[in-house]
Amino acid sequence: MSVSKSKRSAGVAVVLLAGISGSALAAASTTAEAASGHDNSGRIKNVIYLLGDGMGRTHVTAARERYYGANGHLVMETLPSTGQVSTYAVNKKSGQPGESDFSPNLVTDSASAATAWSSGVKTYNAALGVDAKGNTVPTLMELAKNDGFRTGNVSTAEITDATPAGQMSHALARGCQGPTYSAAACQDPAVTGAPLPTSDVRVTPIADQIARNGTADVILGGGLARFDADDEAALRDQGYTVLGSPATQTVATKSDLAAARGSKVFGLFNKGNLTVEKFKREHPDAAQAQEPTLPTMTSKAIELLSAKARGGKGFYLQVEGALIDKRSHANDAAQTLEETKAFDDAVKVALDFAKKDGHTLVIVTADHECAGFNIIEKGTYTNAEAAVPPANVDAGNPANSSTPSRPTSGAKDPARSSGIVNGSGSADPKNFGPATFRTPDDAAGVQDGSPEASLWLTYLSGNHTGADVPIFSYGAGSEQLQGSVDNTDLFDVVGAALGVTG
Amino acid sequence: MTPSPRWTLAAVAVAALLVGFVVTRVAADDRGPGERRQQVVSAGEVPGDGARTALPGLAPATGEPTLPGFDTARPAAGAVARVAGPFDDRYTWSGLRLGDGRVSGDLTVTSDVSDLLELEVVVGFYDARGDLLGTRRAVRHHTLHQDRAGAPDETQHVVVGVPGGLRGAVVAAAVGVPVLVNE
Repeated sequence: MSVSKSKRSAGVAVVLLAGISGSALAAASTTAEAASGHDNSGRIKNVIYLLGDGMGRTHVTAARERYYGANGHLVMETLPSTGQVSTYAVNKKSGQPGESDFSPNLVTDSASAATAWSSGVKTYNAALGVDAKGNTVPTLMELAKNDGFRTGNVSTAEITDATPAGQMSHALARGCQGPTYSAAACQDPAVTGAPLPTSDVRVTPIADQIARNGTADVILGGGLARFDADDEAALRDQGYTVLGSPATQTVATKSDLAAARGSKVFGLFNKGNLTVEKFKREHPDAAQAQEPTLPTMTSKAIELLSAKARGGKGFYLQVEGALIDKRSHANDAAQTLEETKAFDDAVKVALDFAKKDGHTLVIVTADHECAGFNIIEKGTYTNAEAAVPPANVDAGNPANSSTPSRPTSGAKDPARSSGIVNGSGSADPKNFGPATFRTPDDAAGVQDGSPEASLWLTYLSGNHTGADVPIFSYGAGSEQLQGSVDNTDLFDVVGAALGVTG
Repeated sequence: MTPSPRWTLAAVAVAALLVGFVVTRVAADDRGPGERRQQVVSAGEVPGDGARTALPGLAPATGEPTLPGFDTARPAAGAVARVAGPFDDRYTWSGLRLGDGRVSGDLTVTSDVSDLLELEVVVGFYDARGDLLGTRRAVRHHTLHQDRAGAPDETQHVVVGVPGGLRGAVVAAAVGVPVLVNE
């Protein structure tokens, strides 16, 4: 079964709120012109789409303050077009927005979000390349590849994980990663009504799909354990240069990557997810330090893709900073910050190329926010299960008084709260103490972890939230990404830029 | 409190009892690395709208996942051997034992855990000669509606009973993990 996405207008309306000043309007117009980049005449040949998995607005602000100070900017914040993206998913069997059977789920996972921008449809959490009724939908990377573009997919996660897989596979369930099929992991009768034959792509392990469908020319990331000798043979049969070896489970190294040549390159640098930058920095002699950084992989992918343009066509590259999300789930602020910085360094690689190239659209965004990351005032603390509910009483103006929505206090609400979700050590309330970090603005000698450090960070939960995520962009067409957009709109904007969704 | 994960026991196929495992990806023949399986083009529908759904050369799976090491494990009487799998660096076993008509132990996932999406443990049962008599599996499948109270489920208590027909013959066991997806 398949469904063709109805053609939407490629233009995303930017609604100016009533009351906006004339000077602000002029500024917006100027920004739109600047967004076109220099000397590209509005003609886009390449799209580089970078996403920080789990990267909410606070992740960006905290990383900025940590590394560049209060008056600094991350590279992504220098991109001329800015906006915010709604990220909600839908429930299984739901229709699309506007249809009578539309049933939203306000907090997405990475799979549903990836399908939204890759295929332009809302789907259920765990679904990849299928809509909420299980119908296969083409991805932007497939459409770009079919149209003659070069394609690349880079991630610090297992390459079979949701975000990269969202461009290169069709699966009822994101857990169907491989190396082997399993009915429990791959089938979803709640969607399809009955188990599908194992020949159906939607229940075929994602690793098997990636190794055989040729959707991405350059594939860099982790997850070697998902691939085997047959996958390696299939890759080589298609002309891929395979770094390391799935057959012998030999991981590739940054030296292998540096030496890589050819139009098709497959390189996985860890059997699982790649290693956090903090560890590699602190342990330069460890085996994991042989993994390339995200900016290094991004630079190499651009080099490989831009060197092999065919018939005047450019390339489409997706780059994921995956460990922002994974370390946010773990409520590890130090690693979260460092992964956000590494992601921003990859943005710089993309932006530098785009400025030099003049025909490249760069989009930087996230799939969802993770863990309710917050910057709190120095010297304060937070507790998701508030010890004392707000009084909601204003003696000066009783009109402000109301009954608190949560009248009890001091313990979790058994009807509404799942309790503390904070990874290892969750039973210890001391672990809710804020993590503190020095910034460049702090006096010399102020140490990370001390009460004197000015950046105080907390997490609300151990899971995703429904907050909108930021979006930054550069290049012709990026003005469509100013203001508020939905994650499915990204399919239209990128598809129109490449001319593959006409 | 975190609820106990829901484990489903699946009896091994009768055919596997008689002729060994149905191996879907690592053939139990003499094929070496790099040698190809029979060329079978997926019968998955090609929508014609750009989605790449045909996977040339891939033989569709013909059964549930297992591991080749079960055929050669030959565990000592009373022992529970470990059979190598693709994710052995992501978990540890503790308290693994064969007794009271079952194999039991605690499997702790030691890599990133924010969600344990998929876990399958296969247990092989052996007679006094070291011959494989059959297998059973325990399956943990994450569902959207699973209660997420408490910390992520890093440790899974695994209990797999000896199949009724084998009770008198089983003297040893082996365990392996062919499926593990966590994030």
